[in-house]
Amino acid sequence: MSGSLLASVVFLKIQEFARRSVSEQARLRAQLEAVVAVTAAELDPASRIVLEAGDGAAIVVLADPHGALRLAERALSACAAGLPLAAGLNHGAVQIAGRKDGTGLTGDGIAVAAAAAEFAPPARLLASRAFRDALAEAAPGVEAALVKAGTFTDPGLRAHELYRPDGEAARRRAGRYALAGAAAAIVLLAGGVAARIAAEGQQPFIEAVVAKYRSTAQQGEGYWRALVQKVRF
Amino acid sequence: MAKKKTTQIGRYKVLGELGRGAMGIVYRAKDPALDRVVALKTIILSDDADGREEYQKRFFLEARAAGKLTHPNIVTTYDFGEHDGLAYLAMELLEGTDLRERLQHGAMNPIEALETGQQVAEGLGFAHERGIVHRDIKPGNIMLLDRGQAKIMDFGLARMRAADHKTSTGMVLGTPKYMSPEQVAGQPVDHRSDLFSLGVVLYEMLTGVRLFAGEDTPHIMHNVTYAEHEPPTYLKPELPGMIDFVVARALKKDPAVRYQEAYELASDLGTCLAELRARAGMSESSGSTTRTVKIETSVPTVPDAPAARAIGFDTRLPFSRQFDSSAAVERLAAPSRGDRVRLARAPRPVGWLRRLRHDAATRWFVLTTLAAALAGGYVALA
Repeated sequence: MSGSLLASVVFLKIQEFARRSVSEQARLRAQLEAVVAVTAAELDPASRIVLEAGDGAAIVVLADPHGALRLAERALSACAAGLPLAAGLNHGAVQIAGRKDGTGLTGDGIAVAAAAAEFAPPARLLASRAFRDALAEAAPGVEAALVKAGTFTDPGLRAHELYRPDGEAARRRAGRYALAGAAAAIVLLAGGVAARIAAEGQQPFIEAVVAKYRSTAQQGEGYWRALVQKVRF
Repeated sequence: MAKKKTTQIGRYKVLGELGRGAMGIVYRAKDPALDRVVALKTIILSDDADGREEYQKRFFLEARAAGKLTHPNIVTTYDFGEHDGLAYLAMELLEGTDLRERLQHGAMNPIEALETGQQVAEGLGFAHERGIVHRDIKPGNIMLLDRGQAKIMDFGLARMRAADHKTSTGMVLGTPKYMSPEQVAGQPVDHRSDLFSLGVVLYEMLTGVRLFAGEDTPHIMHNVTYAEHEPPTYLKPELPGMIDFVVARALKKDPAVRYQEAYELASDLGTCLAELRARAGMSESSGSTTRTVKIETSVPTVPDAPAARAIGFDTRLPFSRQFDSSAAVERLAAPSRGDRVRLARAPRPVGWLRRLRHDAATRWFVLTTLAAALAGGYVALA
């Protein structure tokens, strides 16, 4: 049997599960199973392991953090159908527990995902720093959608730096990069102009640009006239 | 010197011995006033005067509490008193076997087990409503009568909850295997402690497995406090799926998330019973001419596994029975060379080239800057 390996863990927790009546617990769990069946169907069966938890389920996804994030987001959309879920995501160590063939999984990967789910508000997900890093490596740029939610301390006094998804964050980042690109372009072009002026002087540079413009405009005018005549014929 | 045979206790004429316990002897006796045969439970009072007074006070308090309970699922207490250094309790005499004896032959029929559990829960609900906690629910204290009636015996250990009497004056009351975690910890207990004990008994009735077995008392106590149970349907797949939820809720270590009322537990057991009876009815109704092929419906799976809050690094979560994860488990158990590299290393910072290929925003920034740099260079040099 191998030692521990790293995998992404999606912990889907039914909120306030223990306080619900037994018949409601049975109904919610059946609903959760249906949700997991639908969402996990997207993943290759050789890369996902479904585990049972007292108040939900954990899905261990091998080598696909982006798939894990999609699974969590899709599962949370079931909240609209009355399944009170919260999700925790982590990328960490998991290990087969039990006999040779194993009866379950254990590991810090699961423990941290469970802690994150415990902190997550209803219908929301929280991801660990390790998951964000794994996501960045697997799908660069997608991790920008996870923004820092804060540092949370679990009952074992372990602090977790957790991230929440923010749909606007990626758009804002793209806007920032576009703005920075435009600014850099302006600076570089201005630098080129400044270098030329420094070498030739301002007047010769302006004259050269104007002359260039005229010749280009004349060329353009000639081309335009020829095009119009061609169309007429 | 041979001990003098007891022939009379108070007004009761002793007819014979029914059994012996740690606290005293139980006799079959006759009440001449009412011409009624009763079970007479005697308790030897301490020789020490102070201890005796305390013990006697406690006994009478308990007897008075038990005397208030008249319910079809609770053994009725008729009378109590003291005679010649013996405290006695006259109770309804029952013909039947106790559950402990019954369980020596293995698990019960699921319907019988659920019916018994439901009746005990009803009896406890009645007592709890009157502020009386049993504190020692175990198979030995549940009597099974003919026609399937169950009765809770020995409310002798019960305390008045409202009176809030000291429970642990250095003395541990109850049977460790059936104790609740709070009882084991010596914390104050309430009626929810009985529901945990009933959960343990229910589990044993359904599966034949004694839940918190151990080599010695500290081991049993540790198991009661920390060990999680395996859902009954894992051991007996023919049980209705809902029973897993019922047992899990009754066996919650934290009383706050356990069943809060015995009647609620009784009602849930009733639902399980209805499902089981309906299932039994369906299989009976499938006649010889038409053969019904049973399609396995998805059995709701369950919480033997810990909840999110209770998961630690070394906590095992079991594989789901509803999903086949064997391919991925195999991959994890015997990883290929590629997996060994991919799954063993921690995420690395992403290089610029990869980021450029996959990240549109970065690509836009880099390409714009590059184009501007080329244009600027051209302007400067051309």
